[in-house]
Amino acid sequence: MAGFVFAYLSLEWISFIHEYNGLPLTPWNPGLGLALTFLILLGPRYGIALFAGIIIAEIVIVRSKLEWTVIVGISAIISSGYALVSTVMRKRLRLDVGLTHLRDVIILLGAGAIGAAVITLLLALVLLTVSKIDFGDIVLAARAFIVGDIIGIAVTTPLLLRVVRRWREQTFHLPLARIPEIASFLVVILIALWLIARIENADTSRLFYLLFLPVVIAAVRHGIDGACLALAATQFGLVGLLHHHGYDWKIFTEFQVLMFVLTATGLIVGVVVSERQEIERVARASEARLKEKEAEVAYATRFSLVSGLASALAHEINQPMAAARALGRSAQELLRRPQADLTRADKNLTTLLAEIDLASGILRRIRDFLRRGRPQISTVNIQSMLDDTLMLIGPEAVSKQVMIDVDCAVDLPAAHGDGIQLQQVVLNLVRNAVDSVVSSGRTDGRIQITARLSDNSTSLEIGVLDNGPGIPADVIDHLFKPLTTSKKEGLGLGLSICMAIAEAHGGRLWLHSNRAGATEFRLSLPLEPPERT
Amino acid sequence: MNASTVFLIDDQSSVRHALGEMLNVFGYVIETYESADRFLQALDPSRHGCVVADVRMPGMDGIELVRELARRQCPLPVVLISGHADVLMAVTAIKAGAEDFIEKPVDDVQLVAAINRGLARAHTQQRLQEKIQDVLARFERLTPREVEVFDLVVQGYTSEAIAERLGISIRTVEGYRVQIMDKMQAEGIAVLVRQAIRLDRISP
Repeated sequence: MAGFVFAYLSLEWISFIHEYNGLPLTPWNPGLGLALTFLILLGPRYGIALFAGIIIAEIVIVRSKLEWTVIVGISAIISSGYALVSTVMRKRLRLDVGLTHLRDVIILLGAGAIGAAVITLLLALVLLTVSKIDFGDIVLAARAFIVGDIIGIAVTTPLLLRVVRRWREQTFHLPLARIPEIASFLVVILIALWLIARIENADTSRLFYLLFLPVVIAAVRHGIDGACLALAATQFGLVGLLHHHGYDWKIFTEFQVLMFVLTATGLIVGVVVSERQEIERVARASEARLKEKEAEVAYATRFSLVSGLASALAHEINQPMAAARALGRSAQELLRRPQADLTRADKNLTTLLAEIDLASGILRRIRDFLRRGRPQISTVNIQSMLDDTLMLIGPEAVSKQVMIDVDCAVDLPAAHGDGIQLQQVVLNLVRNAVDSVVSSGRTDGRIQITARLSDNSTSLEIGVLDNGPGIPADVIDHLFKPLTTSKKEGLGLGLSICMAIAEAHGGRLWLHSNRAGATEFRLSLPLEPPERT
Repeated sequence: MNASTVFLIDDQSSVRHALGEMLNVFGYVIETYESADRFLQALDPSRHGCVVADVRMPGMDGIELVRELARRQCPLPVVLISGHADVLMAVTAIKAGAEDFIEKPVDDVQLVAAINRGLARAHTQQRLQEKIQDVLARFERLTPREVEVFDLVVQGYTSEAIAERLGISIRTVEGYRVQIMDKMQAEGIAVLVRQAIRLDRISP
C-alpha cells in the first residue's frame, strides 16, 4: 500500500499543473487511473490508501489553502466514490480485468465516466457549501475536473490492467523485433503533435485528427495492447507539448475532450481486433488439437490392426528365427570339429544372416507402421507401399488360406502424403476383405489389389477386390461412419479413419462394387505435384 | 548300424533347409518333404528312421500325419515341431501318438534327444516284433495235437492231467512235450510260457 501511495503521489506531482481553489486541477489525472486499477484488481480496501494519498497530495504537492476538514471531506468523497465504482464494475457488472471483450472496455469507460461525473458533482456541492467561490467558476472548474479524471482513467487504467494481465499470463516481454515498428509509431505521433502545435490560433483542434492515424493503426495491428501503448504515448506527448507551450488549461481541457474521443475509439477498435485475434487463435488451436486427436485415433486403429495380425506376424518372425538358430548350431558344430568344414560353415552363416535380415525386415515394418506422432508427408512409392502392406497382412492371409494378388502398374507415378497412413488404408481394406472372405466360409478366398492411373490420368487408384459375400445391406448406408462394424472385436473406426486419411490426402475412398464375389473398395489419390525446376 | 534317416517335413523351405542342414551335420541322413502328402506317397513301409514334421502345414497337418501312420501301422516315430504351440495342440499331438512336441525355434538338444528316443523305441519295438515273428514261425510248425498239448502245458497242467483230459497215455503226452520243446527251441517250461505270452495264447 505504501508503494501505491508513493506511485500515486509521483503521478500527482507529475500531472499537477494548476491549482484551482485548492483543488489539483489537472486536465489529465493518471494518478486516478492508477488508483482505479488498484481498486479494481485488489479490492475496495485500497480506498483507504487513496484517501491517504489524496490528503498527502493536497498538503505536500498542491499546498492547498483549504481547511483540513474540507480536505478530509474531499478525500473521503473521492476515495469512497471510486471504491464504489470499482466494486460495481467487478461485482455487479462482472468486469473481466483482462479487458478481453468489447463489453469490458465499455464498462470501464462508461462506469469511469459516470463515476467521475457524480463524484465531481458532489465535490462541487461541497465546495459551494463551504464556499468562497461563485457558481460560474465551479461549473468551469468541474468541467476540467471531469475531463481530467475521465481521460486519466481511460488512458491509464486499461494500460495498467493489460500490463498486469500479460504479467500474470507470463506473456509480458519486450518484443525486440518490434522496436523499429514502435519507433516509427512514436515518430508519427511526434510529427502529428508537432503539426498540431504549429497551429497556434484559436482553432487549435483542427489537426487533432492526425493523431487518430497512429493510434488506430496500432490498434488494428496489435489489438488492445497496441491501442493502450499508442494512447499512452500520445497522451504523454500531448501533455508534454501543451505544458511546454504553456497553454491555458481551458484549451488544454478542449484537447483532452478530443483525446477522450481518440481514447475511446482506439480502445474499442483495439479490443475488437483483440477479440477477433483471440477467436482466430482459439480456432487455430482447436484445429491443431483436432489434427492431433485424429493422429491419435489413426495410431490407435493402426495398433488395433496390428494386434489383430499379431499371431500371424509372430509366426512369420519365428520362422526365420527357427531357421537361423538351426543354421547357427550347424555352423558351430562344423567349426568345433578337428577338421572344420569352413566352406560349409560359411555358407550356413551366410544363409543365417539372410534369415535374420528377413525377420528384422518384418519387425521394421511393424515398428514403422506403429510409429506415433504427426504425419510425415513425402513422396510415396505405391509399389513399395503395397509390398510393405503385404508383408504385414500376408501371414494372416496365408494362415486363413486366402490368396492375395498384387497388380501394380509399372512406372506408376508417386503419390504425395504420409506413406504409413496410406498403408493403413490399404491394410485396413485388405484386412476387411480377408475377414469377409473367411466369414463366407469359402476355401478359394482371393483378394486382388490393383494400383493404376485413373482413366483420365489425373489420379492414382488403388482397388481392393475380394470374392467374399459383399457388404451387408444394414451396414452399407453408414459404412464410413464411426462405430460401424460387423465384427465382434472390431472398433468400428477403421473405415471412418481411412476416409479421413483419404480426404486429408485430397483423395477419395468409396465402395466401388458390392457384388457378392466381386466386392471392391477403391482409394483414389492425387498425383504428386510435378516438381518445379 | 547305418546312420539313421530323419524324414523332415515342413512347408517352409527355409526352415526345412536349415533344420535339415543341422541334423545332417549332427550325423543323420536327411530326406526332406514339403508336405505330409508327398511324404506318404514316397513312404516305403520297410524303412526305418524318425519323422520330424511341422504341425501346421497346408494339406495334411502334422497331427493328422501321426494318425495316418498309426492307421497304416507304420512304426516310424514322429517328432512334431510347431511355431505357435499351445497346450491343447501339444496334448492332442501326444495323445495321437507323437514321440514329442517341440516349439520353434527348435532347441537342438531337445530335438536330437527326441529323435534318438524315437529311434531307440522303434528299434526295441522292431526287435520285439522280430522275436514274435520268430516264435510264431516255430509255433506254426506244431501239429494240431501238439498245439493242444502246448496250451495245456503252459496253463500248468501236469502230464498226468493232460493225459486224462485228452484220453491218451502219459507216455504219449511226454512224447508230444519233447517234440514241442524241440520245435519251439525252449530249454524249459519257463521259456515256453514266455513264448506263449508273446503269442498271445495266455495272458500273463
